[in-house]
Amino acid sequence: MYKVDNLKYKYPNNKEDVIKGISFEIKEGEIFGFLGPSGAGKSTTQKILIKILEDYRGTITYNGKDVKTFGNDFYEDIGVSFEMPIHFSKMTAMENINFFLKLYKRNADVEALMKRVGLWESRDKMVGEFSKGMKIRLNIVRALLNEPKMLFLDEPTNGIDPANAKVLKDLVKEFRDAGGTVFITSHIMSDIDQLCDRVAFIVDGEIKEIDSPRNLKIRYGKRSLKLEYKEGGQTIAKEFPMDNVGKNEEFLTLLKTKEIETIHSGETTLEDIFIKVTGVGLRDESE
Amino acid sequence: MNPNRVLVLVKGELIRLNKYNVFAISILLALIWGVMLYFVNNDILKALLPMILLIDASMMSIMYIGAIMFFEKNESTISTMLVTPSSNPELVLSKVLANTIHNLFSSILIIIAFVLLKHIELNYLMMLLGIILTTAFFTILGFYMAYFQKNFTGMLVNLMIFSFALLVPTVLYEVNVIKADWFQYVLIFNPIQAGSELISGGFKAYAFEWQYYFSLLYLLIGSIFVYRFLVLPKFHDYAIRQSGV
Repeated sequence: MYKVDNLKYKYPNNKEDVIKGISFEIKEGEIFGFLGPSGAGKSTTQKILIKILEDYRGTITYNGKDVKTFGNDFYEDIGVSFEMPIHFSKMTAMENINFFLKLYKRNADVEALMKRVGLWESRDKMVGEFSKGMKIRLNIVRALLNEPKMLFLDEPTNGIDPANAKVLKDLVKEFRDAGGTVFITSHIMSDIDQLCDRVAFIVDGEIKEIDSPRNLKIRYGKRSLKLEYKEGGQTIAKEFPMDNVGKNEEFLTLLKTKEIETIHSGETTLEDIFIKVTGVGLRDESE
Repeated sequence: MNPNRVLVLVKGELIRLNKYNVFAISILLALIWGVMLYFVNNDILKALLPMILLIDASMMSIMYIGAIMFFEKNESTISTMLVTPSSNPELVLSKVLANTIHNLFSSILIIIAFVLLKHIELNYLMMLLGIILTTAFFTILGFYMAYFQKNFTGMLVNLMIFSFALLVPTVLYEVNVIKADWFQYVLIFNPIQAGSELISGGFKAYAFEWQYYFSLLYLLIGSIFVYRFLVLPKFHDYAIRQSGV
């Protein structure tokens, strides 16, 4: 759906490129994540993809056509949820939504969307009275109200509670399952892990790795099994290589003779893999 | 340009002017002007009414468009406008049209009050033309000025300087403090003076001379020039800056 080739970008007041020749593809019907610390170039890349920033180098195609050749009708296909709230605070939620709705040819079922994110009851409240979480959920409704084919989400769960974060994640998955394509930027590992079909690690404007979270875990994880069992009133832990574990006598004996407390594969978290691949952490970077 | 979309945008702008109490402020101001002018004698009124209509159409237009743009900056709403099918010319034009309609409304309030209370004689069509063109020009100019201001206070300070530089010479000439003949040829290039000529053209006693037609063309061409060559080319950069990039 999107193909990005050797993308470079420099802000007018900067000396160096903030995006340093990245290439990737977003396939139709997938959730593609951009994972990286603050300042890595995630939001800049998103702003280039949605044609807000234009003076980039390299090529970007959308459905096989250079994005630079698209007019404003491009936005009939695109839904964008920005990280910060973007509503008129002295208007109600519905007044905001109804205003934006009229700017598009295709209109989604707003009532269903508002109910889905738990804002229907508050639809006649001024947005200025909304909590940050409510504003972010309204951002998502705003992004979906034109029934987009491609959805861009910038740090979608930042600042909202776990229950509402789950609602949003489910909504994104439903959007994908209905044929939509999603591009997510986040520094929150669980978002990427739970949502994305593929993820790119971005640090200092460079992509260090692209693959599915599952493949990354298999590739970078330890191929081992960790066993915890009781012996003499104590918990003892032992680790076995995954290869030919079914023929490992010691492992099989422990299984047969001991009271097993836990068994875990040596799967690493995405965060560990991110640190291993990029050499930097996700949370210790300042905004 | 999609006329239906421009209509939606203008309607949205007008609704927001109301919600953000800009309409209420302009009605209040019109009321204050009205009360003040009601108590002056007819000779002073003849000189003051065009001046007040001019201030409303020029300085207040700059201030209102500045206020609208700073409201939008505070709420980052400009980012989301950039990702709608609306083009930049549609977004700019809708703000200019909405501000012109809004200012026309407050000017009409002042005029109605004086037609009813003081029985002044107007050429309504010429008055409308004068107010619309002056408001449109100064709204577009205010749009451009807002690009360079970091906050609304800065905008107000610059508006004061701007007013002093442009309004004072016109006032001094109008009240005969400056009497030199050649000064009218310098003044004619002052957009405030051009606005003054056009608004004065709305009063029945006005004698139409070359200054009126020059001012008409000057503000018309000036509006198109500032919109096309100053406001539009910088709008996208301005909007990106406001969206926090």
